[in-house]
Amino acid sequence: MPSRSATPILSARSALLGFDRPVLGPLSMHVPPGARWALTGPNGAGKSLLLRAITGQARVHAGRLQVAPGVRVSLLAQDHPRRQPLPLSGYDWLRAMGARVTEPSPVSALLDRRLDHLSGGQWQLLRLAAALSSCSGHAPSQRLILLDEPANHLDAEVRDDALVLIRGLPPETTLLITSHDDAFLQAVGVENRPLAEYIDAR
Amino acid sequence: MPGDLLLVPFVAGVLVTSVLALAGAGLFLRGSVWQALALGQWAAAGGVLASILHWPVLPVALAVAAAVMALLQRIPERERLPLAIFLAGLAAVTLLAANFAQASLAAAAWAEGQLYFASPNELWAVGALGAVSLLLWPGLRRIWLHAQTAPDVPATPPSGPWLRLTEIAWLVAAIVLGTMVLGLPAALATMLLPAWGAAYPARNLTSLLLWSQALAQAGFLIAWGLSLALDQPFAPVLVLVNMGLALGARLVAVRG
Repeated sequence: MPSRSATPILSARSALLGFDRPVLGPLSMHVPPGARWALTGPNGAGKSLLLRAITGQARVHAGRLQVAPGVRVSLLAQDHPRRQPLPLSGYDWLRAMGARVTEPSPVSALLDRRLDHLSGGQWQLLRLAAALSSCSGHAPSQRLILLDEPANHLDAEVRDDALVLIRGLPPETTLLITSHDDAFLQAVGVENRPLAEYIDAR
Repeated sequence: MPGDLLLVPFVAGVLVTSVLALAGAGLFLRGSVWQALALGQWAAAGGVLASILHWPVLPVALAVAAAVMALLQRIPERERLPLAIFLAGLAAVTLLAANFAQASLAAAAWAEGQLYFASPNELWAVGALGAVSLLLWPGLRRIWLHAQTAPDVPATPPSGPWLRLTEIAWLVAAIVLGTMVLGLPAALATMLLPAWGAAYPARNLTSLLLWSQALAQAGFLIAWGLSLALDQPFAPVLVLVNMGLALGARLVAVRG
């Protein structure tokens, strides 16, 4: 279990988050290094928004949202539509994400194939593998991985592979997941953290 | 083999084709083909303006294209506004040509291309750009691959702003020089059509670049031979040949 006294890898203090205008917060939270949290809540609660704000894709309108210095953050977004045609291979995708997989891997068979020739589940699995192993040469304790609905599009064929990949993360690596798939979250073995609990009392 | 008089234009054409094919692959990966239209048209507008003012053509065309590129970078819209900017450039060239005799000649030259009259100076400029392209290749590949990842976010740090600026400057130089040497339609056909055709048979990024180069060079050589043998203007022949090659590559790949 992560130490509660450790310097947080991610901290928010009265953070108001949104795009053009604030729609989430004020939010305060401290995520300890090595935490494995599932951020839960109904649709529209702001789970994806929080992950996007952490990566700088959404704005912090007020307050503070801070990743500890030296920490490398990767994000698996909820959806990633593919252009047609898309003349890139699985290897190209790993290179784009700065990722390296250790062979044999559940995605080994996908690496030589074109991205637009993969099924939806295979594409999701490859993206997941890349997000999990992006910058894997960095110290595991200095990595924060954000997975937004990683169980989306995963059919039975690749669902177990996705679980193997996530469970294979070094224990020091911090993981924040959003998902509506309770069975998937249980199988991953993460702690449920309702996002509403981190909204400041007004 | 081209005769001595045509040696410089031939080599300049081969080199600029290679650079344009690489730029085209990058534009295809970035989904920025409309930007190329706008840039090429405003490079032509800059060239026509330079001819009226009796200023050196290349610096003016580069400056105008760079200004348009700076504007395009501030616009998140990827289709309609670049198209509007392209149309504005077309209108500017037409109005200049209608009001200044010198502009009319220059506009025709930019539209039809002046490949057969390419000078050693243009050859040196294209050769230098080719050498720069080789040097920049690792950085360009990194930028183009990184551009594919959004909305996912890699943990690796993004390319520095200087590398992105270098890519933009290189792209502007490629489009301006390509338009100057081949003419606007032929330059656009060399950039956009081989990359589009190559996207179907290519197995990965390296393969996309090799196919783009192969289709672009085949198009140039066929158009060169046909236009000389049949005494036809080079640019329209090149456009038609490149279109045929791109469609052929797509057809073969889809059926295969």
